[in-house]
Amino acid sequence: MFSAKPESALVVVGHGSTVNPDSSAPTLDHVQELRRRGVFGEVHAAFWKEEPSLRQVPYLVDCDEIYVVPNFISEGYFTRTVIPRELELEGAVTSRGPRKIHYCEPVGSHPRMTELLLRRAAEIAPGVPPEETSLLIVGHGTSLNDNSAVAAKREVERIAAQGRYAEVFNAYMEEEPLIAKWDEFTTRPNVVVVPFFIADGLHSYEDIPVLLGIAETSAGAASASEQEVFRGNPYSRRGRTLFYASAIGTEPLFADLILEQVTAFDAAHREPALA
Amino acid sequence: MRDSTRALAEWIAAGGRQIGEVLIEAGDAGFELRHYADRARDDLVLHERADAARAIATFDEAGRFRPLKTAPNLRRGWRLRLGSLSELREALDHLYPAMIGVWLSHQRGELQAVDLRETLARQTGMYRVTQKITDSQADELIGRFCRSEDGCLKHILWRIDTDRPVTTLPPDKLRPAVAGGFLPLLCHEACNLLVAQAREVVKKCEAKP
Repeated sequence: MFSAKPESALVVVGHGSTVNPDSSAPTLDHVQELRRRGVFGEVHAAFWKEEPSLRQVPYLVDCDEIYVVPNFISEGYFTRTVIPRELELEGAVTSRGPRKIHYCEPVGSHPRMTELLLRRAAEIAPGVPPEETSLLIVGHGTSLNDNSAVAAKREVERIAAQGRYAEVFNAYMEEEPLIAKWDEFTTRPNVVVVPFFIADGLHSYEDIPVLLGIAETSAGAASASEQEVFRGNPYSRRGRTLFYASAIGTEPLFADLILEQVTAFDAAHREPALA
Repeated sequence: MRDSTRALAEWIAAGGRQIGEVLIEAGDAGFELRHYADRARDDLVLHERADAARAIATFDEAGRFRPLKTAPNLRRGWRLRLGSLSELREALDHLYPAMIGVWLSHQRGELQAVDLRETLARQTGMYRVTQKITDSQADELIGRFCRSEDGCLKHILWRIDTDRPVTTLPPDKLRPAVAGGFLPLLCHEACNLLVAQAREVVKKCEAKP
């Protein structure tokens, strides 16, 4: 149970996009849910590429105490360079006049991410026995996203350690093991695929489905808002039954993880409250 | 601690009626919002939840995504009836993100404009190259990209450099609006869209032999 902070503001930071609304949608959804819960004095979204911008945050917020939680899948360029630079942060805690800004870990780093991935995998393939299922966690997998690949590997190791699924693999769009060859390295009759991304978009709506063989290449980004691909489950392809989930960041439980990152921050950085 | 929602209420009580393209009508039962160009229409689709403003603000009339919410292309044909001040605040935050807080900060003398050179000097990664844009290229770009007619409705409070103001936009665009009843949309620092455009200008220039 999260202890309410009516005197504090929560700012959830997303990447955003100038091309389509899919990138910012989960962040805005989580913000809406957290506002509804009323656990913070105010809750705002802020984005690198949309509004409110990171540079507007100091003027957007009323409260003097501000918690910033990056809605990113892993530590990386944005959480270590762009967000601190744009918010002029000096470390985990930044004091500026009456203001105190607490910079929390990104949502994707939370230990409960494993639980969310397992939940999404179970939801997308109801009644399908995990012991007869191969689970694939799909990451981007380029040098630009090294840290997200590391995070995806960490999740696969944790899931494998639980022994619930017959087998668990990482797969990537642009590096080995390639998602396009999913039927070559999986061995079970059922295959569940969960994209390890913060938002749905061209990758999850089109690129990965095309590589899996469950969609055709379209004319372009115009189809990016199509949710159709998730409604076709299960797919019979290459002699297997294939289940394809939407990006993990669209999971409503992300709102809980955002709050838990605040709790984790307090546990790590704050003096214990006087009794 | 300041209270921007109360500041909004005081602005309305003092006769505030329009933010960007949105008219605000205050009545006994709450507030009603609509596009200012729809003020005489009686065939508008009624919405009664603050979060309807999010969908209204997302796409333009032609269904294109609006990455810049202060672009003069808010779609028409809707009215939004809201029962409380907090719902009004939420709806306006969807329609014009951050604009109430930025306006209040300006009122309180706390808003710090950041000149374009400073914004560009801070960039890393793919946007570092924007530092190469010349003052005159930047001036031309701003005149084209930020103009109110088809670019952005915000009033620009920053300069290109300390001693180099923007010269390609009318003087009204470069100071906060003071017209009664309007809550001004204020730009204290170049947005990422403009920075991305600056990158295009530099790239195009470098591609030339």
